[in-house]
Amino acid sequence: MNYFEVFELEPTLGLDTVQLEKKFHALSREHHPDYHTDRSPEERERALRMTALVNDAYRILRNSTRRAEYLVRSAGFEVDGSKVPQALLTEVFEINEELEGLRSARQSGNDTESLIKGLEEFRTQIATRRNDYETELQALSSEWDRLISSGAGEEERNEFLKRLADIISQSAYIRNLEREIDEEVSQ
Amino acid sequence: MSRIVGIDLGTTNSLVAIAEDGVPRILPDANGRNLVPSILHFPGNGKVLVGDAARERILDDSAHTVFSIKRFMGKGMADVRDDLSLLPFEATPDSDNIIRINIMGRDYTPPELSAFILRELKQNAELALGETVTNAVITVPAYFNDAQRQATKDAGRIAGLDVLRIVNEPTAASLAYGLQEGTEGIIAVYDFGGGTFDISILKLSEGIFEVLSTSGDTYLGGDDIDKVLMRMVIDELETSPEGDRLQQVRVAVRQAKEDLSSAGEGHIDLPGFNYARKIGRGEYEELIAPVIERTLVPCRQALKDAGLKPGEIDQVVMVGGSTRIPAVRERVGELFGREPHTELDPDEVVALGAAVQADILAGSRRDTLLLDVTPLSLGIETIGGVMSKIIPRNSTIPASATEAFTTYVEGQTNVKIHVLQGERELLEDCRSLAEFDLKNIPPMPAGLPRIEVKFLIDADGILSVSACELRTGKYQSIEVKPTYGLTDEQVERMILESFEFAETDIEARLVIEARNETETVLKACASSRNQPQYGALPDKERQEIEIAVARLEDTVKSEDHEAIRDAIEALNEATMGLAEMIMNAAVFKALKNKRVKEVQ
Repeated sequence: MNYFEVFELEPTLGLDTVQLEKKFHALSREHHPDYHTDRSPEERERALRMTALVNDAYRILRNSTRRAEYLVRSAGFEVDGSKVPQALLTEVFEINEELEGLRSARQSGNDTESLIKGLEEFRTQIATRRNDYETELQALSSEWDRLISSGAGEEERNEFLKRLADIISQSAYIRNLEREIDEEVSQ
Repeated sequence: MSRIVGIDLGTTNSLVAIAEDGVPRILPDANGRNLVPSILHFPGNGKVLVGDAARERILDDSAHTVFSIKRFMGKGMADVRDDLSLLPFEATPDSDNIIRINIMGRDYTPPELSAFILRELKQNAELALGETVTNAVITVPAYFNDAQRQATKDAGRIAGLDVLRIVNEPTAASLAYGLQEGTEGIIAVYDFGGGTFDISILKLSEGIFEVLSTSGDTYLGGDDIDKVLMRMVIDELETSPEGDRLQQVRVAVRQAKEDLSSAGEGHIDLPGFNYARKIGRGEYEELIAPVIERTLVPCRQALKDAGLKPGEIDQVVMVGGSTRIPAVRERVGELFGREPHTELDPDEVVALGAAVQADILAGSRRDTLLLDVTPLSLGIETIGGVMSKIIPRNSTIPASATEAFTTYVEGQTNVKIHVLQGERELLEDCRSLAEFDLKNIPPMPAGLPRIEVKFLIDADGILSVSACELRTGKYQSIEVKPTYGLTDEQVERMILESFEFAETDIEARLVIEARNETETVLKACASSRNQPQYGALPDKERQEIEIAVARLEDTVKSEDHEAIRDAIEALNEATMGLAEMIMNAAVFKALKNKRVKEVQ
């Protein structure tokens, strides 16, 4: 059973989180081990595994990023946040140089103030980029949901999932880069 | 199912409670006391004293008195070296992966020591309920890791308890509070106990208590406030105290700390050291401010993890003895921008909540459900000493994750897996949880076998592992060797060894209790019969008393505690008139004396 099926949902990306929470509570009341203590060991084991599945599913589905990643991954597409997106090649190159500069300045005890300032500017630029990706991802998500409700065939779906996987990989890369800058700057 | 009790196994005090008709209440000991100090004393006659009786020996025989055991649960020597320097007991050198404390030539692990406390609580519950108790829910700090939870469960087993659930203390407290007030919304539980600190943020909605995030420090509590004060005193003493004298310092500063929660100043008096000093509220608060500040770091973390701002918390609940300190309440109030709740006794609220959870497990309560989380991320070691997270912290439990492993060498039949708990990326900054081998992999070219390993964290927050080789479809039983803690065989052996300490069963104890009471009642009766009022009684009443005395003296020789209780009751009834006359005479006499004095 995949996570969407656990919640009796179509594999769509736009979700009503209030409804999702309601369903989560209802499924918890139905399966939770606390309500099955007087059953046979096999039934208790089943309650435990079912509740774990409900919880795992809710953890992924409630968060739009994780939900999208799960959707493409479970269809067999890879999400790789370590590949530099083509459109960002020059920026990433410069950022890496700055990061390297900051590290060696720290090691040799040189002034790091201007380097940190430079990195913070890059950080703002990247945040704008990430916003762009997120907007694009949102648009693609709504398109995907329309595709699902119109009952599109497997070929059409897979083609679309591949585009989704690309966008998700690229925004994952940016998030990783942002984290790296934050860590280096705050040291 | 027989009844299930809720147990708060605390660093400083422990309690047992039960819910009846949905209402939880503490089960007191034979002397009517709710709190059992978590202290053991080994007098050297093969017996172990627990609680108040043990506490009395801290000052004069500290070498055989053990306390704050909870701080050692699931720990290795390297974790607690600093703490041991301020404690009077000694750990044996063989303590790397589990602390062993040597008392009178015998080594005890923390679960065995905790089991003595649990056994005492079990017996108290049996006396109060008049029936055998074997099922329990035990609470632990929310931030306890896998090893600490397992150690607590082991302690329960050694004490002869079936531990049906390990519940997080702040979550238990929220049950007690939430039910009482019928609360809905977001609540934060700030739990500052004797040895541990927890913060949990929950969402309460239609009977579902959903933990959104939790954080804490399992090595931060009232003990640390004592330590700050002890260091201050020791610095001011001419020679540094050891053994019993060190305990005198501990008891003195603790008294001052408790006084300072209500008074403007405290006194630390140590006549044996020729030392006495006053400590004002201001000086005290300045000294302990860093300790309080340390609790605020996890609070901010928990807020962040829940995606909430302080202003979005509807209610703040205070739990644990250390929240009696006014400066703690103030700082917490400041952080969340609201007055924290302190209506329920901070020492009792966790045990009461545990009893409610026990009630849910017993099936008597279908309106309430607790959804708790795992406090720490679970991960596995990958190439380069890096931890790869597979279940993130604050995931609702039970939770699971499946990882695929393969081989690196042709014909490889073993894969080693190292499981870790923690938030940092590097292996060395995380807590090693267990190591195990995937064995009997069918020999195949490198990279071809596909072994799926399923990690499952159960509702107690404890990990289990199963594996399946996908190409052959063969399931594997996995023997997980815990890094810190006891193996199953060790626990089994301890259960056997513990029988030498086990008291006789509940029936026998009820008889002993009834006989003790008989002695008291007969003594009181004998002294009443020496009073002049006895002679003034009508013959019939005197005769009834004599018959009742004879009946009790006879029944007490039997093994039937109910018959003994009935006979006691009968004697009490027969002497009621006499008792009243004696009482009246005493009151009259007291009044007369007073009048005489007043006239003078």
